[in-house]
Amino acid sequence: MKKAIALMLALVMTLALAACGGGSGSGGGSSKPAGETLTIFNSKMEIQSQMEEMAKQYSETKGVPVEVYYSSDTVAAHMATKYASNDPYAIAMVDAKDVYSLGAEHAADLSGEQWVGDTTQAISVDGKVLGFPVCVEARGVIYNADAIKAVTGKDFDPESIKTTADFQALINDLIAGGMAAPTGVMKEDWSLAAHFLAEVYELQDDPDAFIAGIKDGSIKLADDEVYNALMDTFDVLKENNYAKDAAISAERELTEQKLAEGEIAFMFGGNWDWDVINAYDYSENMGMMPVPSALSSANTKLVGGGSKYFYVDNGVSEELQQKAKDFLNWLVYEADGQDFLVNQCNLVPAYSNITLAVGNPLGSSVKAYADKGALIGNYNYLPDDHYAKCGAIFQKYLAGQIDRAGLAEEITAYWATAEVGAH
Amino acid sequence: MTENEKAARQKKIAHVIMWIVLLVLFICFIAPFFLVVINVFKTKADTTSNPLALIGAHGFTMKNFPDAMKKMNFWTVFGNSAIITVSSTILTIAVSSMAAFVIVRNQRWKFCTFIFSLMIASMVIPFQVLMVPLVSVYGGTLGVLNHRLTLILMHVGFSVSMAMFMFHGAIRTNIPLELEEAATIDGCSRWQTYWKIVFPLLKPTVATVAIINAMAYWNDYLLPSLVLTKKELYTIPIATQAFYGTYSTDIGLVMAALLLAMLPILILYVFLQRYIVQGVTAGAVKG
Amino acid sequence: MKQNTLSYKVKQYLMFAGPGTILFFCVVIIPFIYGVYLTFTSWDGVSATKPWVGLTNYAAAFADKDYWAALGRTAIYSVFAVVLINVLSFFLAYLVTSGVKGQNFFRSGFFVPNLIGGIVLGYVWKFVFNRAFVALGSAISGGTAPSILSTPSGAMLALIIVSVWQYAGYMMLIYVAGFMSVSEDVKEASSIDGCTASQTMWNVTVPLMRASFVQCLFLSITRCFVVYDVNLSLTKGEPFGSSVMAAMHVYNQAFTYKNYGLGQAEALILFLVCAIVGVTQVMIGKRGEVEA
Repeated sequence: MKKAIALMLALVMTLALAACGGGSGSGGGSSKPAGETLTIFNSKMEIQSQMEEMAKQYSETKGVPVEVYYSSDTVAAHMATKYASNDPYAIAMVDAKDVYSLGAEHAADLSGEQWVGDTTQAISVDGKVLGFPVCVEARGVIYNADAIKAVTGKDFDPESIKTTADFQALINDLIAGGMAAPTGVMKEDWSLAAHFLAEVYELQDDPDAFIAGIKDGSIKLADDEVYNALMDTFDVLKENNYAKDAAISAERELTEQKLAEGEIAFMFGGNWDWDVINAYDYSENMGMMPVPSALSSANTKLVGGGSKYFYVDNGVSEELQQKAKDFLNWLVYEADGQDFLVNQCNLVPAYSNITLAVGNPLGSSVKAYADKGALIGNYNYLPDDHYAKCGAIFQKYLAGQIDRAGLAEEITAYWATAEVGAH
Repeated sequence: MTENEKAARQKKIAHVIMWIVLLVLFICFIAPFFLVVINVFKTKADTTSNPLALIGAHGFTMKNFPDAMKKMNFWTVFGNSAIITVSSTILTIAVSSMAAFVIVRNQRWKFCTFIFSLMIASMVIPFQVLMVPLVSVYGGTLGVLNHRLTLILMHVGFSVSMAMFMFHGAIRTNIPLELEEAATIDGCSRWQTYWKIVFPLLKPTVATVAIINAMAYWNDYLLPSLVLTKKELYTIPIATQAFYGTYSTDIGLVMAALLLAMLPILILYVFLQRYIVQGVTAGAVKG
Repeated sequence: MKQNTLSYKVKQYLMFAGPGTILFFCVVIIPFIYGVYLTFTSWDGVSATKPWVGLTNYAAAFADKDYWAALGRTAIYSVFAVVLINVLSFFLAYLVTSGVKGQNFFRSGFFVPNLIGGIVLGYVWKFVFNRAFVALGSAISGGTAPSILSTPSGAMLALIIVSVWQYAGYMMLIYVAGFMSVSEDVKEASSIDGCTASQTMWNVTVPLMRASFVQCLFLSITRCFVVYDVNLSLTKGEPFGSSVMAAMHVYNQAFTYKNYGLGQAEALILFLVCAIVGVTQVMIGKRGEVEA
């Protein structure tokens, strides 16, 4: 036993030494370029490996050490711990709403940057440009044209589907042709509330006034034209859902696989869904179209805009802030940077000077709509708990536990105590 | 004789029944792993479309393993995890068994009761409560994050109460005071008494505490992710977090990483189990 | 005698328990006190200013209906999970110490679920419930079978199943140590005195294992009350927010909804509830032990 204890103590000592050595030796990397490391926080999991690859390339060609980090924790929680430990990232990728909440205090003013003139999606707070749009993302109905053609025998023209009635007619054709259930619906709260329900606000002439109207009771959501028009289409999606009996446990991966492989033809989603679809044996001809509806002002447009934003932290050294700005310029103006955004990461660029064609079908649909100015902007000021709480309500509707009036009632009740973000 | 034979046969039948019950329960416990193992050798498309098939339509693939290993930088993070787990476990056992010893032997002293109650109560604190204050103090104020030693000491600090609790029970019920008195009469100091007489008798509890803590450290994600934010210090759970996100999960990579990470701790368990089994069977007083 | 002087006791204490106590205070108590301070502020989690708001957060916590619903749900879940975990693990421990063939192998098998971290475990089970069972059910019924995660009670059941699966092997280990620590002599003596096997079990072995029961109950109660990882990866609070447990609500309140002070206050209430239940249980257990 004595021997065992001696051995254990020796082991603890060695390991403790190894631990200390390892910890303090972080500055001694041999092959790394000198200078402060440009740390980048990535919150888009699907491009993490591309980001890592890019960091290596950038370090080599520019002589600036770059490291990319990812966290599976929520962005807000992760940023809270980073600021609490006084260890901020030089550049952080966050959602639009986080730029409003974090920006005023932590983001450097980027107003003087050249790219500000080449995008319409930058975020400004109090007259200062703080958020660099990483990409454009838009929502609509994703279709599989090959699957439709296989049933109807005709080439699918998305422009021909404008209203809910058009959509229903095509669905009926597909069912008659043997496609048992032509649609899929994602049950995730972010898809239902942050993406679909949000369109009810976004398609209004004045979303702020609309929400204020719901709050003070002057607008009845249940009677609202936009709400009813969108819900009509949602009902079509819901009724023809392949997982109709199990809508609340439908797995996103499975739904996207069915869409990719043509077992179903339609799903409400966005161009980010490509990162899931491309893992399967996807059909050649897919794309995105506006949500069909009776609203003539909206049924020719996708809804979206800048989605993820970089901001440069104002707490890091001036030198590092400059490196961060150089990096952002590299993304927009240099061939390698543009290639990284568009070809490596499959993103739709938010900059008018980038002319590279977007490789994936969903992205190129979005780019086409964006180029012709047919994008309805995101409403970025929804409260932080909107997606979770209204998502839970919307799930009840999807499961058939409440009807359309009940849905409107519960959402109105949610708004009674909720406040939109300052802007 | 016939009485004995009858008893022996009854015992045999009882054992067979028990064995069958065990087998059924065992299959229930292990079934999810079976599913993990069959799906880790499939492509993502096959896993999604037909999770129950033994071999997918796209055939057998080993691809998930090298992919996962490359993405998580396997050997580096494996080394980090090993150093941290081993050191933290050994330190926890030493520190908490000693603490339990002194607390058990001073039960009448109010101060010890107070510390004991405080530690017990602290076991209930949800970690999320401490998370931000912890990094504010050690990162913001003291700046000692990003050292393995910091994480090791924090691990010990967080688990000392529970380990102490387990040693407390073991010392109180299984270590007779007479033994120590005898040792003192033989001229042992308290320190010697503890390490030569008491600690060896705690072997089963040591093994239990070791496996429970080693496992917790090996799998811990939240604390290491707060303390070690530099890539070269990452542990296995931090390195694999990119396999699952808010919006999607690459279940093939998750499963491959799971199997890779599970192996060492499984071996450790099988090894330590012998000590747990040995127990203090014959009774300490006799020896 | 010198052993009873205070300075001797303090010296002994510092020598044996000093390192543990210091580490414990550094990483648990100090951050905890700071955390309590934060409950009196309206900090959002990221800003540099932490405005003092007094008891406002506590008032808001008591008025937060979702929080109390989550707490009630957690209590229900805990009752079921704790009872099932302990019954199953005691039973398992009994079986694997009874001398059947291959008991070491079984012991390892039951323990295996613990070798995985909570988050990954949740994903694996989600895969089992949503894919494997659904694929199985669909193959049998011919349609798309619903997953048990799609109804509130089903999601609750799933959480309980996974918790039992996860902790039964762990608690089994403690019960095994308990069984092992009851010396054979005592059991022999009781059987010589004419006790049957089951009488020995209930009248001799079980009372001597009281420490194991107290430990296992305490551990399972406290773990169930603060369940988070499995909750997050298995159900994420769905469907309809019906499976949001207290810890998850607290986490969302503090970080997702950015009411850090309120979240912290709610966490503190959760802590108090849990501490009262856990410590009461230990006290009752200890009192009984003295009597026995």
